[in-house]
Amino acid sequence: MAKWGMVIDLEKCTGCQACSTACQMENNRLPGENYQDVLYYTEGKQPAPTLSWFPRPCMHCEEPSCMHVCPTKATFKTEDGVVLIDWNKCIGCKFCMIACPYGVRFYTDEKPLIEPNIKSVFKGEGDLSWNPPYKGPQQDASHGVGIQPNGVVSKCTFCYHKISKAPKGTPDLSNDDPALREFVPACVRTCAPTARYFGDLDNPNSKVNRLISAKKGVRLLDHTGNKPQVYYLTGGGAAGGAIPSSRANDKKA
Amino acid sequence: MTTQTAAKGPVNTIMAAGLTGLVVSLGLVMVGLLQEGHAAFNTGSNGITWGLPVVTYVFFVLTSTGLTFVASLAMVFGFKDFYPIAKRCIWLAVVTLIAGFASLAMEIGHPFRMLWAIPLSFQYLSPLNWMGVFYAAYLGLLLLKFHKVNGGDWDSGTSRQLGIASFVAVVIAHGTLGGVFGSMAMRPMWYGGLVPIYFLLTAAVSGAAFAVLITYLTYGNEAAMPEKVRTLMQGAMPKVFAAVLAVVILAVVSRTVTGLWSNADGLQVWDHIVASPWFWIELLLMVAAFFMLLTGSSPMWPAVMVIVSLFIGRYEFIISGQLVPLFKGSWVPGLISYTPSLTEWMLVVMAFSIVFFGWAFGEKSLNLEAAPKEQ
Amino acid sequence: MEILKTKVTRRRFLQASGVAGAAGAGYSALSVVPAASKEAHAQAAAGNTVVNKSICGQCPARCGIDVYTTNGKVHAIYGNNGHPIANGKGCPKMHLGTYILYDPDRFKGPMKRTNPKKGRDEDPKFVPISWDEAFKTVGDRLNALRDKGESHRFGLFFGRGWGASDVGVNIVPFGKLYGSPNVPIGHSSICSDGSVLAKQCTDGNASYSSYDYRNANYLLMFGANFLEAYRPYNNNLQVWGYIRGEKTPKTRVTYVDVHMNQTGAAADRALLLKPGTDGALALAIAHVILTEGLWDRPFVGNFKDGENKFKTGEKLDPSSFNEKWVSGLIEWWNVELKDRTPKWAEGVTTIPADLIIKTAREFGSTRPAIALFERGAHTHSNGVLNGMAIHSLNALVGSLFAEGGLGYQMGPAYGDAPANPDDFMDAYAKEGPWKKFGRIDMQGHDDGYKMAKNMIQEAGARQLDGKAGYKLDTAMFYMTNPCFSTPNAKDWEEALKTMYVIDTSPFPGETAWMADLVLPDNTYLERWQDAPTYPFQGFPLAQIRTPAIKPLYDTRTFGDVLIGIGKQIKGPTGEYYAKLGNVENILRHIAKGFEKTPGDNGVNSFETWAKEGVWFKKPYVFRQVRGEFFKWDGKGYNITMKPDEVKKDLLKTDSGKFEFKSSYMEHKKDWILAKTGRNAEKYNFPHWEEPKYTGGGDLHFISPKTAMHAEGRSGNLPNAISMFQPTVGGKKQALVEVHPSVAKAKGIADGDSVKIKSSQGEILAIARVTELTRPDVIVLPFEHGHWAHGRWAKGRGSHVDTIVVQQSDRISGMANYYSAKASIEKA
Repeated sequence: MAKWGMVIDLEKCTGCQACSTACQMENNRLPGENYQDVLYYTEGKQPAPTLSWFPRPCMHCEEPSCMHVCPTKATFKTEDGVVLIDWNKCIGCKFCMIACPYGVRFYTDEKPLIEPNIKSVFKGEGDLSWNPPYKGPQQDASHGVGIQPNGVVSKCTFCYHKISKAPKGTPDLSNDDPALREFVPACVRTCAPTARYFGDLDNPNSKVNRLISAKKGVRLLDHTGNKPQVYYLTGGGAAGGAIPSSRANDKKA
Repeated sequence: MTTQTAAKGPVNTIMAAGLTGLVVSLGLVMVGLLQEGHAAFNTGSNGITWGLPVVTYVFFVLTSTGLTFVASLAMVFGFKDFYPIAKRCIWLAVVTLIAGFASLAMEIGHPFRMLWAIPLSFQYLSPLNWMGVFYAAYLGLLLLKFHKVNGGDWDSGTSRQLGIASFVAVVIAHGTLGGVFGSMAMRPMWYGGLVPIYFLLTAAVSGAAFAVLITYLTYGNEAAMPEKVRTLMQGAMPKVFAAVLAVVILAVVSRTVTGLWSNADGLQVWDHIVASPWFWIELLLMVAAFFMLLTGSSPMWPAVMVIVSLFIGRYEFIISGQLVPLFKGSWVPGLISYTPSLTEWMLVVMAFSIVFFGWAFGEKSLNLEAAPKEQ
Repeated sequence: MEILKTKVTRRRFLQASGVAGAAGAGYSALSVVPAASKEAHAQAAAGNTVVNKSICGQCPARCGIDVYTTNGKVHAIYGNNGHPIANGKGCPKMHLGTYILYDPDRFKGPMKRTNPKKGRDEDPKFVPISWDEAFKTVGDRLNALRDKGESHRFGLFFGRGWGASDVGVNIVPFGKLYGSPNVPIGHSSICSDGSVLAKQCTDGNASYSSYDYRNANYLLMFGANFLEAYRPYNNNLQVWGYIRGEKTPKTRVTYVDVHMNQTGAAADRALLLKPGTDGALALAIAHVILTEGLWDRPFVGNFKDGENKFKTGEKLDPSSFNEKWVSGLIEWWNVELKDRTPKWAEGVTTIPADLIIKTAREFGSTRPAIALFERGAHTHSNGVLNGMAIHSLNALVGSLFAEGGLGYQMGPAYGDAPANPDDFMDAYAKEGPWKKFGRIDMQGHDDGYKMAKNMIQEAGARQLDGKAGYKLDTAMFYMTNPCFSTPNAKDWEEALKTMYVIDTSPFPGETAWMADLVLPDNTYLERWQDAPTYPFQGFPLAQIRTPAIKPLYDTRTFGDVLIGIGKQIKGPTGEYYAKLGNVENILRHIAKGFEKTPGDNGVNSFETWAKEGVWFKKPYVFRQVRGEFFKWDGKGYNITMKPDEVKKDLLKTDSGKFEFKSSYMEHKKDWILAKTGRNAEKYNFPHWEEPKYTGGGDLHFISPKTAMHAEGRSGNLPNAISMFQPTVGGKKQALVEVHPSVAKAKGIADGDSVKIKSSQGEILAIARVTELTRPDVIVLPFEHGHWAHGRWAKGRGSHVDTIVVQQSDRISGMANYYSAKASIEKA
């Protein structure tokens, strides 16, 4: 079984937000509720201020704190390493949103960022909280895919409706291979500077593993012990000097 | 204790006010929730996840814990001085627990689904589940204990064991509630193994405060109190109250000082906390209440002050723990701003209404001033 | 919201929320889009999902897109992998296409105004009409004008029509056949004519450049926001990932702008200069390149004795230098460059001299290097001069037509259109009274802008003051909304009250609000259309739109609307348009050219074109290698070009060289001197001129584009609004960037409501106090501030063009948006 993971090369990322809009389109995101978000930071002063950005999907942690706190096991980890929410089990207690160190979870029922509320323009029927005409055909509540029902939490699925259909044993899912194109997560597929890579972390020959090794991939907030399956490359031309990973050794060892 | 003296306090008025408050607040809450769902709250994924309804929940379930402690002073630990208010405290513990759960039920996305989903797929790693288990057990034990006491069985073996069991249950329950927050290493404002102890102390104080307040409301004034009650209210009660309050003040101050001193991401919020007048009101009320209790004057006003102070404290604890945005960058450039909505405030009114109506109902029909005959 | 109510209450219009189910019902039998051929080029993705090839419509890059439709609903758009610009990738705007298609505020069919009064507060009271009635109304009106000999009083204004050849039908013949100098008037003067004129004045090409970024080792960018708003955006991002993350050696980038943005942040060096002083910086860089002997001798030439004689402040004898492919270098040095030291430039630009020298040395010593510029540098009174100075750097380092340099775009191998307009000219068209009249915008006029391509921003004012000698009777608008987007937009708003206005936008914009007739276009996912590429990498490329879905409503592709109107015109004009048939017919004809010249991807017919979505033929056939020009012979750049061939195809100046001394300007010397008051010695050299700032405030007021500015379409898209201005977190509306020192001086706190005032008026905005902008610059991106345009756009944010004063570059006619100044105070 694969252990899907993502590598994001910050040296190539242009901060354009195409990952976010592709995700919005693919996963019917509401304005301001981006599974995949790009965050911008300013420090320093004129005439040389520092502007930086940070693309942030769900980390799909190896040790997901969101999953451990979920009272109903609605949040679960698939065999292929993806953290998903079963909307049929989610009771909307939002403990997972509290417990996620990365702020990547979203509750359905909130005040809209942009008025008038687009949910009341495209009103939902039955179990759907809204029903935009541009929604995709996929709807799989037990994997948290599609339009969310009311009263549940939702999150990035690594585009599970796509990757779960990939041929078994594929080391990497890339837009470059016409045969694999439809299985690539939306953010990875559209990333114009090719700052995103998606592949099997358990396959030593995958491109993601090669990049992590060659460019010293690091994980966000390693100290929380969540062990993200999303790795960041930060311009790894260094001879080998790197910020130490405090979780390099398994705590259970 | 032979009398069935009709209480002289404003019980009827409070019952009417509680009922009115309950009807009005519940009405407004339902209007908000039915029209907008939880969008009627000012909580949000880019803002505060757990808002005022959770504050209310924590405030009342910990009050319930504290009331059980007060009741246990007599019924578990044998401080007989506390018997005159024990039954009332048990009933109040039931009522406040229901008030807390009512607030939480309105806050959860699928409260009914919870009823089957938690038992069917129990996540043993989740502090929330253990909190649920122990609070549920606690509620059951409380009701049983109250049933026994209500039937006049104060100290049969079963009754005593029920008392001890409910005390143990609530200690664990509040401990798991402390764990819900204390386990969150990613939110250092909450994090720490001593959070359950902090909860225990503040719970005890809130229990004492409610016990005092309700006692005064029952009788109207000290002159109208039966002697044993008056003795308790002028002697042991304010002393115990003051002693625990002193420790609570110390805990609040030490949390504040370490919070201000430390630099871990998330603790910046302490600067924001101490910049708010609410923090100083909270602290001032506690300190003033402490000294008032020492002077030997009526503990009623200190009780009111402590209740207000503790509500501010709960708000501060739960909301401030979330004010530093997690990975929002320029989208949420400073601390998150949060002002509870009308619907959220109505849940607070609803919870208080449940407590006061429930208490007054009990006072009128359940003989809450009963105590063991031979005392 | 009356405009919205009006349209949704009409019986035959469809309720917004019923979009999905009603899609078929809204599709009129009159529609010219034939459904039959659709399946032929739609390939199956999964199940009943079909993927159509189309072209994105949100910026001029024209990326090929794959449009995913399942059960009649469009739900996804990704880049077309076979398209050389998109390469399967997307920019953030590409994915907004579905929201545009299903915008609930779209017009649902043709309508006419019933309220004779016009104004922001006047509900047009539109009533639906049939397309037949619409065509007849316009036809009668235009025929009546023509009968009176007043056909010049009809104007057709267009914006993102992409060069008039690719709205599906060529617009230009309409003016020629019907008889109006005002058909068409493009929007290029509010777009980017400054760079076009700068290139025309120096190397003779009136065009944007094509660039070979992938092979460049140094990029020096002036006011061209490569990673936010420069085209072709999607490809720029791809280039960036390659040159910065994969290429060896890594390409170095210096970026010049007036505030810190994503490009500045991602570059190796950001130089934040005073607005309008880019030319001074470029001149100083040229000065260093010459004094330090870093110029490219094979292209530029050298001193006869081989010794570098460029010394600061010292004049030289022109005969001491042998010029190769440049003209006027020593004269330029003598009249301008010799004194343009980095120290001098520091005084003008505020950039420290040591950074200028460093930049110049890097640029001058790293080959290949490209200096590129766009609106930031040329949207000023001195814009063309700035542009010429910057473009001259390319000549100095020999990057014109070089590998890793820049060139110009070749056109596609199109076949002939179904009809030739020249065969349909009647006597009126040939010598009717309309021939006596100039354009309403006074483009080309001695008293106006003789050298400009267009002057759409002044057409409104001329309509009001009648200086052109007449006023328009009827005006039609396609993809332009000048009463919102030109400086001093109010002029246009007033002008629209004085004419019969036909708007063709699918969306309820400001022009529509003032319109007498609305003939709504299809959105880009519902139509046929072709588009030759915008200047890209030089090799010819043409993409095609195929409808992914039948039009949701009773709307029509603009090309077909123009044909429908044309058919109403009496005489041979009507015959010409009857012969054109419809847009698809035109595309089928022009695709015949591919039979003779198949594309690299095998496209050799209309069907294969529609199937692949693009025809292209690599490579760019011209290349300059170390001062010699070659042409591609099918295998390599092996055919040596003679100087006259270079002059004809590449350096299209009088001298056949890159001209530091512009012959193009020399031809209009008297006019330029009279209108600009420039020094007769310098006027046709790249030289420094202080920009004329407008508006009178103490701060520069800059209104850039952001990456989410989907060519004006993101104003009514909640998802786009929510991420409109990421660097400073503008997520409900654009925020004005204010430096902390300004904020402190004016008592403004972050998040405060502020008043921004110029001599022309004032607007309200929300302040974001940030170190990203210079202390003398406030930045408020344009896009918001609509007073119409849909439920989300209307009333959101600040309309920057309310306070930008109308002033244009005399040479290019480029509107001087960025010369604006304003003051700010707490509201």
